[in-house]
Amino acid sequence: MKDKHITEILDNVSIAMLSESELNEIRAHALECMSCRDAFEAARLSAVVIKSRVEATIEPSPFFQTRVMAALREQQAVESVPAMLRLWRSAKVLVSTMAVTTAALAVVSFIQPSQTAPALDQTASAYSEYSVIMDQNTDDQMSYEQVLSTIYEDDEDAR
Amino acid sequence: MKAYTQLGSFEGRGSLEGWLTRIATNTCLNIVRGAKRRPEFTVSDLTEDEQGWLEQQSAGDGGEPASVENSVVATDLADRLLSVLSPEDQQALLMIDGEQASIKEVAEATGWSESKVKVRAFRARRKVREAMEKLLSYKRAGSER
Repeated sequence: MKDKHITEILDNVSIAMLSESELNEIRAHALECMSCRDAFEAARLSAVVIKSRVEATIEPSPFFQTRVMAALREQQAVESVPAMLRLWRSAKVLVSTMAVTTAALAVVSFIQPSQTAPALDQTASAYSEYSVIMDQNTDDQMSYEQVLSTIYEDDEDAR
Repeated sequence: MKAYTQLGSFEGRGSLEGWLTRIATNTCLNIVRGAKRRPEFTVSDLTEDEQGWLEQQSAGDGGEPASVENSVVATDLADRLLSVLSPEDQQALLMIDGEQASIKEVAEATGWSESKVKVRAFRARRKVREAMEKLLSYKRAGSER
């Protein structure tokens, strides 16, 4: 290794991963090679600062949790609007059809009673003088007085 | 928060931990990518504390930064040095050299191939070493004047 520059080794693997024998060989070469000595020194210091960087504990801000929860709620609110829109788009046809059907049913139920009114009149007229006399089916529905008056009316007419 | 909102997309093929790590990794990379990168920094950018720390480390046999103050200075210096790297290179270097993670572990956490992890770590180590070398040479030149 004495005649070989060590920069390749320094860049290939972390100094912390080198064995003691490898380090001794590197040091031996660095004593004779000026550029490799600087490179080794720089690599050693770089390893120290990187280790410090990793070991440094970063405490989250006391408001971190509050901010995260607020951001979550905000995102959920934003997502709920398109969901409602999607729901409306898919249900729009169904709701419109239901509304039209309801309106049609309402119109039909208001109009139908007035059309059935004449039928009631016909029922009432079933008990007119003519029908009482002529309609045999209604005989059993006549009262006793009606029968008597009908008979005596005929007698009086004969006299 | 991303994990919470994307929970529906988790298919359960891999482990939940791996899935969460991947989300955290990609989110952090995007944040770092968004930050402005400093292409280069010189010894004049260093604070007095940082220059003092470098002198102390160069004069002695190195070792760990002993006090809390030294750790803070070293961390700041690390941030400055890492700022010359791309976010991906930063991550590879911090995981392998800082956290002693294996190439395979980094590949699993990031979704990169193992050769890509190796290349990134190699490139990152060289860039950081060259940046540190430059700082040390400036410092030496300054102290010789």
